[in-house]
Amino acid sequence: MASQLSFTGFAWKNLLRRRLRTLLTLCGITMGIGAFVALVGFSRSFEHAWLQLYQNAGTDIAVLQSSLFNSSLDESLGPKIQALPQVAAVAPLVFNLIDLTPDVNALVYGWRADSYELDSLHFTSGTRFRAGQPEVVLGDLLAQNLNKKPGDTITILGEVFTITGIFHGGTALETGAVIMPLDQMQNISSREGKVTAFHVRLRPTPAGESYEKYVAQAQAKIEALEPGIRAEAAAERASNNQIVDIAHAVAWGTSSIALLIGIVGIANTMAMSVFERTREIGVLRALGWKGRHVILLILTEAAGLGMVGGLLGIVLGWGALRILAIMPQTASVVSTAVSPVHLVESLFIAIGSGLVAGAYPAWRGARLSPVEALRYE
Amino acid sequence: MSSPILEVRGLEKSYDEGHVAALRGVDVSIEAGEYVTVSGPSGSGKSTLLHMLGGLDTPSKGEVLFRGSPLGTAVNLDSFRSRQVGFIFQAFHLLPTLRAVENVQVAMLALNGRANHRVERATALLEEMGLKDRMNHYPNELSAGERQRVAIARALANDPAILLADEPTGNLDSVNTGHIMDILRGIREQRGMTLVIVTHENDIALSAPRHIRIRDGRIEHERTGA
Repeated sequence: MASQLSFTGFAWKNLLRRRLRTLLTLCGITMGIGAFVALVGFSRSFEHAWLQLYQNAGTDIAVLQSSLFNSSLDESLGPKIQALPQVAAVAPLVFNLIDLTPDVNALVYGWRADSYELDSLHFTSGTRFRAGQPEVVLGDLLAQNLNKKPGDTITILGEVFTITGIFHGGTALETGAVIMPLDQMQNISSREGKVTAFHVRLRPTPAGESYEKYVAQAQAKIEALEPGIRAEAAAERASNNQIVDIAHAVAWGTSSIALLIGIVGIANTMAMSVFERTREIGVLRALGWKGRHVILLILTEAAGLGMVGGLLGIVLGWGALRILAIMPQTASVVSTAVSPVHLVESLFIAIGSGLVAGAYPAWRGARLSPVEALRYE
Repeated sequence: MSSPILEVRGLEKSYDEGHVAALRGVDVSIEAGEYVTVSGPSGSGKSTLLHMLGGLDTPSKGEVLFRGSPLGTAVNLDSFRSRQVGFIFQAFHLLPTLRAVENVQVAMLALNGRANHRVERATALLEEMGLKDRMNHYPNELSAGERQRVAIARALANDPAILLADEPTGNLDSVNTGHIMDILRGIREQRGMTLVIVTHENDIALSAPRHIRIRDGRIEHERTGA
């Protein structure tokens, strides 16, 4: 049976010609896409987790100072917000990222014992904490990593707390978190009378009014209560907070550098390949191949490298996320949930990287004079 | 009266910004179906003339006409090479990563035909060249004579009107030389193709009905008739 040759088959054979070089090039683009999948996937899942956190608790608005990192509001603002007609409930909170052991850090929240947000937690064992008591509840993943159960104790910033319950968190931000009474958290972080933010649940949207408009009106009324405070809709808060912004910036910055290295690798390989195949390109031109056929061949090879590297990178990146999601040091903020859209986007970026990297070698290959190329030794 | 299939007028080709002249005013007219050999010493310009006739290179001065239309302007060079011309080289120039049958198909990839048609045509041409059992062999698994027969099949892949061969027997022993020349003459007779062979071998040069001898970039001698 005679072997049939297709255009892509021809490109593939060219790639397999120098297997080690192709493999090393694939390693470069795989690392780049792997970094992109893992880092950008992480930052997006982080953003999604924030949104889910608000949605699970039924929070419509977050009230804070202009900067999240140093947001400090007077606790007395709570009753003023509560007094607004649109507001159903207000939950003041303090939170911080705290080292629990040298290896494990966790988001630690201070909530009031009667906070509506506690209603959204599903306790798998034990009960809630009590106000004014050195008690905490742990997310199930954190409890598992620390090997803790109700009745055990945990030391946070030098203070000993009794674990009263373990809850199942719906997001990475909850499943690896510690929640304690607000007064205890204010005490250990020396923020008596102060809170990081208020979460606000609104009354049901009146009939005939849009939710967005209703929220916007409430935001305006809250911001009018005191100068220098910001009331943000939950969805906006999830995507527009400094932690998420930093996560996005670090993820895009790091993975862009990794991708750039991968692109340079493909460009180098394709340039070498065109150089080595100068006479073959001359033969193809003599056989009637147009410049655009040569461009198409080289771009197909480059895009093929990008695609295979992309697929391997997706596996690598997803594997890295899985590992990060179970490591105690990172489990509190990393989720393995990667959207299919992100994976498809990664694959397109990989193929696009290949095309960008192959563009110049392809152009050079197409510009070779057939007769000069045939003479090439 | 119909135009010659190929015609060159006042053809000049120089390199190194005019310092090296390969052709210095050549006029040749080749009729469809003609069998022409071109000979001359090394560096005489015979291969350059062949490259110009096949649209592989462009003249510094003068013009090459295909059926009366100038190459490079009225006739697109890529289309001319893919549809009208088949090249055969001394060094065969087969692609080492492709099997014999794939080497023949590669010439047809530029014309966007159907894949099964390409493989059928390549198979038929290789059978015609007596390579039925060598189709799936790589070039390094073939003898020099077999490689040149694959190259001839490849040159015929797009059913060209003109076959241009640059020293087609230069790398072959006398037995294979005779065999390849028989094949080329047979193709020309059966298909009515125009055949132009550049050679430094006198036997081959003189065996053609028309022989052109080139020296120092000019036609030194031309003989028509056996």
